[in-house]
Amino acid sequence: MAELEERPFPPGDYPVVVVGSGPGGLQASYYLRHLGIDHALISADPSPGGMFRQFPFFQRLLSWTKPYAPVERDHRFYYWYDWNSLLAEEPGNRAIMPDLMDGTSSFPSRPEMENNLAEYVSRTGLQVRYGCRWEGTRRDGEQFVLETSDGEYRCQAAVFAVGVAEPLKPDTPGFDLVPHYADTQPPENYAGKRLFIVGKENSGFELATGLLQWAQRIVLASPRPTKLSVNTHSLLGVRARYVLPVEDEILGGGVFILNASISRIERLGASYRVHCIRSEGGMEISVDADEVIAATGFTCPLLDLPKLGVDVFGRSGLPAMTNYWESASVPGLYFAGTIGQGVAGMKKYGMPANSGAVHGARYNARTMIGQLASSKFGVQQERPTIAPDRLLDLLLTEATEAPELWNQKSYLARAFSLNPDEGIRDDGIVPLAHFVDEEGDAAVAITVETDDTGDIHPAVYVRAQGRPAQETLLASHPLHDFRTGDNRAQLSQLLRGVTSGAVR
Amino acid sequence: MAMSDEEKALALEHVPLFAGISFESMARLAAATGEQDFSAGQFIVRQGQIGTGLYIVVEGAVKVLRGSEELADLGPGDFFGELSVIDQQPRNASVQAITDTRCLGLASWELLTLLQTDTALSLNLIRGLVARIREFGEHHRH
Amino acid sequence: MSAMSQQELVDTLSGLTLFADLSRPQVEAVAHQMTEESYPIGQRILRQGFTGTGFYVIVEGEVAIKIDGNEIARLGKGDFFGEMSILLGEPPVADVVTTRQLRVLHLGGSELEGFLRDYPPVMYRMLKSVALRLRNANRWRS
Repeated sequence: MAELEERPFPPGDYPVVVVGSGPGGLQASYYLRHLGIDHALISADPSPGGMFRQFPFFQRLLSWTKPYAPVERDHRFYYWYDWNSLLAEEPGNRAIMPDLMDGTSSFPSRPEMENNLAEYVSRTGLQVRYGCRWEGTRRDGEQFVLETSDGEYRCQAAVFAVGVAEPLKPDTPGFDLVPHYADTQPPENYAGKRLFIVGKENSGFELATGLLQWAQRIVLASPRPTKLSVNTHSLLGVRARYVLPVEDEILGGGVFILNASISRIERLGASYRVHCIRSEGGMEISVDADEVIAATGFTCPLLDLPKLGVDVFGRSGLPAMTNYWESASVPGLYFAGTIGQGVAGMKKYGMPANSGAVHGARYNARTMIGQLASSKFGVQQERPTIAPDRLLDLLLTEATEAPELWNQKSYLARAFSLNPDEGIRDDGIVPLAHFVDEEGDAAVAITVETDDTGDIHPAVYVRAQGRPAQETLLASHPLHDFRTGDNRAQLSQLLRGVTSGAVR
Repeated sequence: MAMSDEEKALALEHVPLFAGISFESMARLAAATGEQDFSAGQFIVRQGQIGTGLYIVVEGAVKVLRGSEELADLGPGDFFGELSVIDQQPRNASVQAITDTRCLGLASWELLTLLQTDTALSLNLIRGLVARIREFGEHHRH
Repeated sequence: MSAMSQQELVDTLSGLTLFADLSRPQVEAVAHQMTEESYPIGQRILRQGFTGTGFYVIVEGEVAIKIDGNEIARLGKGDFFGEMSILLGEPPVADVVTTRQLRVLHLGGSELEGFLRDYPPVMYRMLKSVALRLRNANRWRS
C-alpha cells in the first residue's frame, strides 16, 4: 500500500503560527526554528515563493546578486552583494541565488528567484503546510485562534507574512472596466495596440519597459511627476532598469508621460477613452486606447485583523506597528516580509529603508524573531563580551562591511552595551529608531546613512546612562572604507566619556 | 513732499520682517506702501482694533500706550504692527502721535497680493520669523 | 485607527487649516506627494540635535513637544512640525514625541521649499501660523 505523506503542521496548538511562504514567512520560520521555538508555517499557495511565483511579469527583479564580489560567498559580508538570498547560519544554506543565475545579468529573472526560494526551503529543510488558507482570526483568552481551510490553529503569537499583493484600483468611475497590473497578459497580446497605463511607479514602468517593442503607443499617467531613483539617491522612485520609457518620451518616440489624474474611463466600442485632468493648469484631456492597465498598487490582505483591533493606515492598509514589527494595538501579532515597510524608522531626509524588499525584510525578520523569542518565550540570545581595545575597530568595520547596515541604512544598527559592571557586550543588530529613544545603560550603536546630497557615511549614536542617544556623523570615504584615522579619533573621543576612558 | 520709492525702500529696511529680501521684492513692497500724515494727539491705531497693517515712522514722534500706561516712544525709523500685516490680530496697544507725524503704511491686503505671486518673498518672511522664534527661545515647534 | 481610503484622506486634509485654501484637485495632489506614516505611542518623531528632519502634518493623534524632558506644548490633528529645522537648516531644538498613536503625512526636508512654492496658499497659512507663534514669543510688538 502506498504511504500517504502527512502534510506537516496539522491544525492544533502551537506556540507560534507563521502565515505565508514568501521570503518573509520563510525567513521568520527559519529563525524561529534556529531559536528553538516550536511553530507552524502555513501557506495558501501550493509551493514557496510568495509574490515571486507571479511577479514581476517582464524583465528581471530590481534587486541584484553579484556573482563576483570582494568577499567569499559564504561570509556574512557577501549578503551586501546578494540582495536575493535568504539569511542562514549554515554556510551551505547561504548565497543560494548566485548558483541559480544563468550569468547573463546580475538581476535574477522571476523564475530564478522563485527557484532560489524553493531551493532555500529544500536545503534548510523548512517544513511548510501548503494549500492551507488562513480565513479568519479571533481571540480566545490568552491565545489567538486562526481559522483556516484545514481547521483551527491556536497560538500565543502569530506572524503574518501575507504580502502586499492584493490588487488595488481607485473607485473612480470606469476602473472596473479595465484590468489591474496583476492581470497583465503575455506581451504578444499588446502587439500594435495603443496602451494606456495608469500609474507611474515601478509597476507601471515595468509594463511600459516590457511592452515598449510591442505597443504602438504607450501613455503613462498619474498626478505626480515621475520620480527616478537615481535622482532620489535611494531605491525610492522608478529604478534604473525601467527608465527606457522615460528616455523614449524625452526623444519623442511614442511614449507619452502625463501628470494627470483620471476622472473617468469609458468604453468606446472595442476600445477605451480615458478622461484625464492635467495636474498643471487643470486642463482636461481625453486619450483613446485599445488597452488600459491600472498599475495602481496593492493592499495588504489582512482579512479580519482590523476587526480584532489591529490598526491600519495608508493607501495599502498596512498595519500600524512598533519598531519591532509587532502590531501597535494588538500585541502578539507580528508582521514579516514586505509588510514591514510600514515601520518608517528614522526616515532621515524622507528616505525609507528597504523593508519592502527581500534584502531589508530578511534582516527585519531575523531581528523581529529575536525580540519575539525573548519577550514572549524568554529565549535570550548570547551577548558576547568585547575587549575595550577591540571596540573601535569593530564599530568601523561594521560600518564599512556589515550588510545589515548597508541594506537598511539609518534603520538597523549594530549596538554594544557599555555598562561598566558588565563590560562591553555585543547586542547585535537593533532597530535604530528603538535604540535612539531607549533610555537605559550606556550604549553605542553605529549605522550607515545617506544625506540629501547622496553622501554615504557612518552615523554613531552614543547613549549615556539614563539619557536618550546623541547623534554624531562620521566622515565618508570615496571607496566607502570608513576605517580612517580621523574616524577612529572621533569615535575614540565620543566613547571616552561614556566608558570612563576604557575605550580609546 | 512725497517720498520716492527709494526713500520708501530705505524706510522698509528698518523692519526686521523684511530683512534679507531680494531687491525686486523690496521694490514691489515699496510701491505698495502709502504715506499717511497724523496731527499731534491723533491716534494712529487703537488697542483692540483689528490690525490691518504696519506703520513705519518717517517724521515726528509717537507714543505706545496700553490703557493709560506709556510703554515706549517711537521716532523716525521705528515701526509697529509688523505682524498684523500678516495676520490681522487685534492691536494690543494704542499708538498716538505726540507731534505732527508722517508714517509709511503697508496694508495687509497689499502684502497678501504680493505674496501670492512672490513666493521667494513668502519663504523669506517665514524663514525670518522662524529664526526670530528660535532666538526668543520659544520653541513651540522647530 | 482604520485605513482611510484615498477619498477619506483627501476629505480629512481638506478640513485642515493648512490646506483650507486649496482646491480639491490640489489637496489630492498634496496627498499623493506626501507619504502617509504611522507611529506608535511613545515614539520620537523629531529628535533634539539629530539631522535629516522631515516635515509632518498630523492627520490623527497627538504629540508632545519636549525640551530636555520637559513638555512645553501639545499638537494635534491639523498641526504641523519640522518646518523650523528645515527652513533654518539646523537640527531640531526639541523632541516631538507621540502621546497617542499617530497618523501623519510626511514630506522629506529637501522637498519642503519646492512644495511651498507649488502651493502659495499653504505657504501663506504657514506664514500666519509662524507669525502667531512669534507674537506669543514677543508680546507687545503686534
